[in-house]
Amino acid sequence: MTELLNVTGLTTSFHTSRGRVQAVRGVDLTVKPGEILGIVGESGSGKSVTCMSILRLLKRQGRIEGGSAVFDGRDLMELDEDALTDLRGNEIGVIFQDPMSSLNPTLTVGEQVIETVLRHRNIGRRAARARAVELFEMVRIPSAATRVDAYPHEFSGGMRQRVMIAIALACEPKLLIADEPTTALDVTIQRQILSLIKELQGRLGMAVILITHDLGVIAETADRVMVMYGGMVMEEAPVAEIFALPRHPYTRGLMASIPDPRTAGEGRLSPIPGTPPDMSDPPKGCPFAPRCPVAMRVCAEEMPRLYEAGGPANRSRCWLMDEAAPARAPYNTEDAA
Amino acid sequence: MTELTPTLAPLDDPRWALLEREDDAAEIIAAPVRTYWQDVRARLAQNKPAMAGLIFIILLVLAAIFGPMLSPHSYRAQNLSLANLPPILKTTEVGGAEERQLVFVNTGNLNLYGVDEGGHVTGLLPGGRKDMINRQTIWQVGGAEVVLDYSSLPPVLAQEGGPGLSPGPTKWNRTYLFGTDQLGRDVLVRQLYGARISLMVAFVATLVNFVIGVTYGGLSGYLGGKVDLVMMRIVEIISTIPLTLYVILMMVVLQSGLISVMLAIGTVFWVDMARIVRGQILTLKSQDYVAAARTMGAPTRWIMAKHLLPNTIGPILVTATMLIPSAIFIESFMSFIGLGVTPPQASWGTLTSDAVETLRRYPHQLFFPATAISLTMFAFNFLGDGLRDALDPRLRQ
Amino acid sequence: MANGALSRLPLAYVGQRLVLMLVTLWAVITLTFFLMHAVPGGPFVSEKMLAPEIEAALNAKYGLDEPIWRQYLNYLGSVITFDLGPSFKYPGMSVNEMIAEGLPVTAQTGLLAVLCVVALGVPLGVAAALNRNRWPDTAVMTIATIGAAIPSYVIATVCLYIFALRLGWVPAFGLDDWRGYFLPVFALSGFWLSFIARLTRSSLLETLDQDYMTTARAKGLKRRKILLKHGLRNSLIPVVTIMGPVIANLLTGSFVIEQIFALPGIGRHFVLSITNRDYTAIMGITIFYAAFLMLMIFIVDMLYVWLDPRIDYRRRA
Repeated sequence: MTELLNVTGLTTSFHTSRGRVQAVRGVDLTVKPGEILGIVGESGSGKSVTCMSILRLLKRQGRIEGGSAVFDGRDLMELDEDALTDLRGNEIGVIFQDPMSSLNPTLTVGEQVIETVLRHRNIGRRAARARAVELFEMVRIPSAATRVDAYPHEFSGGMRQRVMIAIALACEPKLLIADEPTTALDVTIQRQILSLIKELQGRLGMAVILITHDLGVIAETADRVMVMYGGMVMEEAPVAEIFALPRHPYTRGLMASIPDPRTAGEGRLSPIPGTPPDMSDPPKGCPFAPRCPVAMRVCAEEMPRLYEAGGPANRSRCWLMDEAAPARAPYNTEDAA
Repeated sequence: MTELTPTLAPLDDPRWALLEREDDAAEIIAAPVRTYWQDVRARLAQNKPAMAGLIFIILLVLAAIFGPMLSPHSYRAQNLSLANLPPILKTTEVGGAEERQLVFVNTGNLNLYGVDEGGHVTGLLPGGRKDMINRQTIWQVGGAEVVLDYSSLPPVLAQEGGPGLSPGPTKWNRTYLFGTDQLGRDVLVRQLYGARISLMVAFVATLVNFVIGVTYGGLSGYLGGKVDLVMMRIVEIISTIPLTLYVILMMVVLQSGLISVMLAIGTVFWVDMARIVRGQILTLKSQDYVAAARTMGAPTRWIMAKHLLPNTIGPILVTATMLIPSAIFIESFMSFIGLGVTPPQASWGTLTSDAVETLRRYPHQLFFPATAISLTMFAFNFLGDGLRDALDPRLRQ
Repeated sequence: MANGALSRLPLAYVGQRLVLMLVTLWAVITLTFFLMHAVPGGPFVSEKMLAPEIEAALNAKYGLDEPIWRQYLNYLGSVITFDLGPSFKYPGMSVNEMIAEGLPVTAQTGLLAVLCVVALGVPLGVAAALNRNRWPDTAVMTIATIGAAIPSYVIATVCLYIFALRLGWVPAFGLDDWRGYFLPVFALSGFWLSFIARLTRSSLLETLDQDYMTTARAKGLKRRKILLKHGLRNSLIPVVTIMGPVIANLLTGSFVIEQIFALPGIGRHFVLSITNRDYTAIMGITIFYAAFLMLMIFIVDMLYVWLDPRIDYRRRA
């Protein structure tokens, strides 16, 4: 019972004109206090929708169809609107992908921090403003005292993302959800933002869910990794272990498709062939089976469960983990390649 | 991995056999591939109001072209004795000594008309003797004397002696399906003729605007630089001037008439079109394929015709479709304030304006032009909206 | 929210816009003058004999025997001093007097119509957007679609017939009775009411879909606050922007409306001048209208700075 957040069986669909798209299909996840959980996957794998579902922040067509998300003893799926809004921005902060569009263009950045503080803290406007300046200094926005009165369009992308972080951390949340916080930024800025998040996480002792499609970001930042595909958890393991020995063919494929400086020049990058499944009509077996290099007949027919794989904290949704499955190196053999 | 690992399950279990698949199975893309214009057409076809609008417009155009030819009446032939007949005749049966006859009282002008069993108007009953002192008119119908007493309103038709009157059947006016106007002209034919004029003005004016706008905007966008700056300044100035006022001034100068209306509307509303074309050209200009054509030494005119215009056609089409109802509206507006086509020509504007003059006595005359113009505006608006939605690439998924 | 708004509106830019406005006005005057002189036979030659006092006044005013460029300069000179000259058809009446006489009526109905457009159009659009695809939305959009397709003079005449002639609820013409305002204001505002309702709806829907609305929700703000502070404010920017042209079009709409309801406003004078071929009045009223509308658009553009902090006229000055 040490978990800060415990999500079980989360299921979310989008009802569009083209039918029901099953974005998240029974996701379980846990976050311990002070830990950084990385969620990685291609676009459309359901990683963002999972987090938005936890906060019930889905856009119009999104429906949460099942599951629970217990945060600090309260099930977020059962909370009433008032209690939920008391919690959002207060105990759980969120940073979004695109700092260009996530800030209201017609309000000063300071106001956007101040209104958050005023909403959750019983203090006056003057104190809230002082808090905003303090937060701006914390996220290292130069000349914070004057910049609070500027508008978002007067900021660069990196600076706007710092403002977003200031907003998210305004009330010192226990959990920060960072939804691809660096995807829209320049590479050099990405690094600054990531180290800022990591530093603040250490300083404030909060837990972080870091969503990304970039394994490099995960390797640098996260404590534990969850790989998602087709709206499901494919593999979950501590970060060191997953990089040392990826169990799931999909994880392995992901890793093979990023350049490795050590092997640079030796061979070609190998992208995963094919395209992600159409989630309005997902395959009945393993969603990765159509693209999997070692798919078996059973993979196309039946959904594998999440097997324990290699340790108590390691899980993998692959038939090769079944004890009846034939050995196929290096996927289910004990020794690392 | 030099050693083979021992198998954990019997290899003959087919469940564990590798999945065979066709080479490209993973590459199949779920949605069928359609070209942009196929997409547009499919989306437009799904839009019910837009399709209804399109069908209405096609029918209207056909009716405007062929309708007047099929009618026995002419749009200009007047017959004052048959003025202001309604499309629906409430008849009275007069049982005369010789035979019974259906008559219709026009309470507006206090005339009595004969109506046959089929609903045809046989004409004004002759021999009405006016008794001004008692405010009565007296007719001989089939041997009986019928008196229309209008000393109090509404007028009352009565018969002195004889078997009396009985309310007859209500009949459609078969001679003049929509009735007649205050000069006894067939309303249906004038409606169709009005549609012809209104649509003609709208199409020609839109075409003129289209040509001017595309040329102006295209040149401005294509040439760029200082020329563009000056040309856009001019557009900016023109767009601050209230254009309706200018159509009015033009009409005052050119004097009323069909050609004047087309000219006045045609030369005034091209500014939006020019802006849109310019914007499109500017975006496209920066694209590689145009640069490539230019590098290969293609002449300006050729680049414009071959590369730029086909790609800007979508928004231009929408703007043009939206211009048509505006033109219809402006024309009817002009005609309504007496600056449109000249009599005996008719447009929906003049028809409405004429109907307003007789609004108190014959309100039904307003119905046809008002309905026609409103439905046409609906049709074009729906079609324009549908086209815009169909062309909007943001909706394309 | 006035912080820094004025600094984004430098005097240089205001001056530049004023100059552009004067240039446009000059273009309008020139165009109007020469258009009126292009009328076959010229504006001052009438098929009817002119009343001698008008002829004298015209001669004095324009020096009709002088060359046309001289007449033009004279006219320009008098317009600059806000003198639009004498009426061509009404003895002893100046165009200025005509406008002064009609202005209260036109301004009253026009202002009421603008109020009507904003006070009804915006809430209807908001109601539609917030109830997207439910009955209030369908109802508002249906009415708005009808309102946008039916020409104002049709609305006016149909309403005139039903409410004034048949039901007798309101007078058929004139403004002597307060109920007389109903139909003209309704007919005048009908189209733009629908337009603004549709615009507000689509603008609010677009705003509600923005990422910063999700941010506002993620902050834990209350629903009402999110809607008012983040949603409505931003979605009203395009609505305000369009108000200049809306006012302009309401005014031109008043030509027919004043005609139909026999209201003694400027529009009626204008239409009468057209029917009478009262060229000096046509010229004068056109210039008055144009100046007024340009002023409206100018004011709205300047107010824009307060609404949208992204607008910075310093860059354009």
